[in-house]
Amino acid sequence: MNRTGLLYDERYLRHQTGPYHPEVPQRLTAIYFGIQKAGLLPKLTLLSARRAERHWVEMVHERTYIERLEAACRSGAVAFDSPDNQMCAETFETALLAVGGVLEAVERVMSGELDNAFCAVRPPGHHAERSKAMGFCYFNNVAIAARFIQQKGWAERVAIVDIDVHHGNGTQHIFEQDASVFYYSIHQHPSFAFPGTGRDFEIGYEVGQGYTKNTTVLPGMGDDVYGQAMERDLLPAMELFRPEALLVSTGFDAHVDDEMSDISLTSDGYAHVMRQIMGIAARWCGGKVVSVLEGGYNIERLPELARDHVSILLDV
Amino acid sequence: MFVQKSMTRKVITVGPDSRVLEAHDLLQRHHIRHLPVVDSDNILVGIITDRDLRSALPGGLYGKTPASVDTGPYADLTVREIMTPKPVTISPTNTIEDALLLIQRIQVGAFPVVDEAGRLQGILSVRDLLRAFIAVLGIEEPGTLLGILVEEKLGQMKKIVDAITEENISFGSILVARHWEPNMRAVFPYLLTNNVSRVKKKLTALGFRLLDPMEWYMDRIPKVD
Ligand SMILES: [Zn+2]
Repeated sequence: MNRTGLLYDERYLRHQTGPYHPEVPQRLTAIYFGIQKAGLLPKLTLLSARRAERHWVEMVHERTYIERLEAACRSGAVAFDSPDNQMCAETFETALLAVGGVLEAVERVMSGELDNAFCAVRPPGHHAERSKAMGFCYFNNVAIAARFIQQKGWAERVAIVDIDVHHGNGTQHIFEQDASVFYYSIHQHPSFAFPGTGRDFEIGYEVGQGYTKNTTVLPGMGDDVYGQAMERDLLPAMELFRPEALLVSTGFDAHVDDEMSDISLTSDGYAHVMRQIMGIAARWCGGKVVSVLEGGYNIERLPELARDHVSILLDV
Repeated sequence: MFVQKSMTRKVITVGPDSRVLEAHDLLQRHHIRHLPVVDSDNILVGIITDRDLRSALPGGLYGKTPASVDTGPYADLTVREIMTPKPVTISPTNTIEDALLLIQRIQVGAFPVVDEAGRLQGILSVRDLLRAFIAVLGIEEPGTLLGILVEEKLGQMKKIVDAITEENISFGSILVARHWEPNMRAVFPYLLTNNVSRVKKKLTALGFRLLDPMEWYMDRIPKVD
């Protein structure tokens, strides 16, 4: 059994998105109760949120953007940069707590105290651009974590694997000119899904060319296509890149019962994908992997998806 | 949607009495494929394309830097001798739709844009048209495309637009296409949001059928083995 951390904190429920929005606090409680009900909590090291120091956030986001978000939050704005990004007075603080919690988990794993960790955080991050909130995301948790790992000297080459059903435009754009961070995303084909980026010809720029890879999946496809695509596209790329640290943007919205996409991944399909990722971590990163929640909106399915995800991390 | 808005204004040109090798050099240096030929009053008299140069110059010269090779008898060849005189042009006040239809009819890669007096104002290439078309589709902004099957009768579009507007969602664009079912149209609103599950339910409740994404635009899904 692995030493696995679980980051969960009730303060992550304070970011409210108003009525009629899919990115709701119940997503996290569903995930937590799923893990609890399966009797996994005693096996896990529970981590709680901590406020990120501003300078880590500034490794990825423009200072003016951070200030703009803080000011909008203070002023009582209900949305930021787009009606998609509903917010409340606690949003800025919660976003900082999400980043800080992820950095805490990363530190425990990279220092060897834990083998791996799952971070059940809100708000999500992979759509957040350097200076723009997008797709329910404010701070790019995973991107900041990658920079944190590099700055702390734990690893030079960091791989980010994004299995959310949407393309992580923010993460890609932040690293697309950087050869030290490999960004891989598998998602519903952008002609059929938000945000419309992540085409298979987007492979990075300049020195970063070849360090971005996108697999596009057509509507209706599921377990078989995902399993094959990961083997065909991700595994060989990792053989070449040889990551020293691995971060996962875990979105559960590719599930067949999730209304946010037309992809038909089953719960078993998700488990298979996660095992493939664990294989990469074992081969290249001494098993070290930190998984960070992105999307996933079906409250009925999230408990089992989280249970399986954490069981695989624990290797039980 | 006027040509004036989408054309390239800064045009590299050449005179009719210039040497062909000079034109060749200009195309190479600026990585362009079309060179309008203008007289001293900026009146368009012709056009030279990379294809014209390829057929006018021997293989040993085309694509090379003139100084590095023996240009022989080609040194004196003038633009006037190989240009296409009086090419098909378009006016700055023509529309992008005009240009799309025209470019489909006559197979060229670019139109010189000239005013009523025949003076060169710009050039409109296939690349410029594509850029304009991408802007029309709105697909460089983040959003989600829906496909809705709609009966061809009055007031349907209003229902769709109202339902979406009530959800406080902005439109990137709306395409309407023919559908293979009789009396049906397929409507494709491009919505600037990630949040479409509620509006999808609403449209279904209003009696609209949401098209399976794999059936969008296609009469038949291509069979993949
Ligand atoms: Zn997503």
